[in-house]
Amino acid sequence: MAGTVKLETMGKPGVFINCTTFDDDAKSASADNGMPTLRRVKISSQDFYKLRGKVETIRPLVEAVFDDIIDALTKPLTPEESNASGGKYEEESTAGVTVTAESYPAAAEEFNSVFLNNRWGDGLPLIPPTEERVKWMLSGTKRKPDEVLGRINPKQGVATIEKIAINAVMAGAKPEYLPVIIAAMEALADEDFDDLHVLASAGSFNLLTVISGPIAREIGMESGIGFMGHGWRANNTIGRAIRLSTLNIGHTWPGKNDMALTGRVSPHTFFTFCEAEDFSAWEPYHASRGFKADDSCVTVGSIHGESQLNHFYGGMIGTWTAEGILDRMVEDLVRTDRRGYFMWGTKGIGKYLGSGGGAMNHMIILFPELVEELKKIGFDQKGLQDEIYKRTSIPYDDLNPAERKSLQTAIELGVIPTDRKAVFEAALKPGGKVPVLISPDNLHFFVAGGAPGCAFSFNYYRIPPYNRTALMTKRITGATLTKAGAV
Amino acid sequence: MSEKRVKLEVLNPRGTIEAKPVSAPNPRITDLAGKRVGLYWNSKPGMDNFYKVFEELLRKRYPTATTTLLRGAFLIRDDDVEAWLKEIDTFVYGVGD
Repeated sequence: MAGTVKLETMGKPGVFINCTTFDDDAKSASADNGMPTLRRVKISSQDFYKLRGKVETIRPLVEAVFDDIIDALTKPLTPEESNASGGKYEEESTAGVTVTAESYPAAAEEFNSVFLNNRWGDGLPLIPPTEERVKWMLSGTKRKPDEVLGRINPKQGVATIEKIAINAVMAGAKPEYLPVIIAAMEALADEDFDDLHVLASAGSFNLLTVISGPIAREIGMESGIGFMGHGWRANNTIGRAIRLSTLNIGHTWPGKNDMALTGRVSPHTFFTFCEAEDFSAWEPYHASRGFKADDSCVTVGSIHGESQLNHFYGGMIGTWTAEGILDRMVEDLVRTDRRGYFMWGTKGIGKYLGSGGGAMNHMIILFPELVEELKKIGFDQKGLQDEIYKRTSIPYDDLNPAERKSLQTAIELGVIPTDRKAVFEAALKPGGKVPVLISPDNLHFFVAGGAPGCAFSFNYYRIPPYNRTALMTKRITGATLTKAGAV
Repeated sequence: MSEKRVKLEVLNPRGTIEAKPVSAPNPRITDLAGKRVGLYWNSKPGMDNFYKVFEELLRKRYPTATTTLLRGAFLIRDDDVEAWLKEIDTFVYGVGD
């Protein structure tokens, strides 16, 4: 939609074609992009997805809408269509809500009905965000309630500390969790972070939120057995607060402009957990991102939806060795990432070169015992990045002509960044070994889990469709109820 | 009649959406005869086949109209826009899914 508005804004009349399933989304997006009366033609989703594979099968669909497209291109604008110019975008009321009832339980039920009917909740019961309760929540931070962190897509709603606190109350969080929630929202609201794709795409993408540093222990986060599961108030309400904040501040709703076709696994909390720092033989993850080891940080990363998790085992069913798990990791990475070679040789699907598809980022969760064993055989995080990068490189002689061409084109287009060009130029010769990752830095290790534990990973595009990055670490600051994150 | 004795006043969790100016689409080209119709394919599968049929139908109805297909990103890139604008009079953009 934004592209259509861009072309119209630059003086060309046109029409946007959207499938019926996405019609509400298209209407919403045309308003979001400042051209609510932009002309659109709907095509049947049921027919398009079934018939689009061949020219002859899609022909009846195109014939059925051809006149509509011609009309959209040629019939003069109506007065209503023309009157959009100079008008104001309608603002949604931000007034509070008052409910009255015979008793508190009845009032709480009425509050939940209002909020859930307004689509201001996630389907589960909410805690009423009274002024008193929000003030209580704000006691967890010294940051000012009216501080603006940025905007959240798709509606570019303004994320303030107060709005986050309101959603944190609704989620059932405690004030000492608020600085963590704020840091996560700072990442999502960052002008370089692609929150639009993860929050709105049909691909049902999900969000990984990892807390690292001493604050996790202080606020009672669980990092042992069941660390990604239910039961732990801190883990779950932090995740829920982030979910509610994105829903309400960004104004998303399933099927309207959050088009995740299957919804998301762990939809109410995303995947929210903390590193098991007390049991980790390595420095915390954020130290690898340039922060001090004793900082407390939140890392937020988009991850694929349908294929959530790549399992490298460990566990308790069979015996395991660090080398064995490493071998499994390498095999999985080669299998999945080699498939993306064909996209490396294109500019990508987004604004930035190499966006979407092609090369990936991998977020790999390793359990503490495994990290101990890896350290014994000489690996810290950097060493393991380099080792996996080396082991996943494919002999040039094993590549097929299409792969070689795609990778060569990737160098020519600049999809392979300048600082990695020499590596790939040297590799793309007989006898060379061609990486499936742009850089070892595309491997991100988090230590979490109990004993026994499992190793697994998530992945996502190295460069997302709508912005520069979908993986960001922010330092937690302004905490008043914990020693960690205070400064 | 029961008396309502409990009042619950809660704050609004919704982010403020800043009002922004809106604009209308451009006036239409009333006749496609002799015009250059741009077909933008945002790389979503199937739109290429859709456009092949569209082009055939367009040529039948407007034999002097021409088409230019551009395949690009979901959101047309700035460098693609500048070059393409010079080649077209009007456009179709698809597919929103």
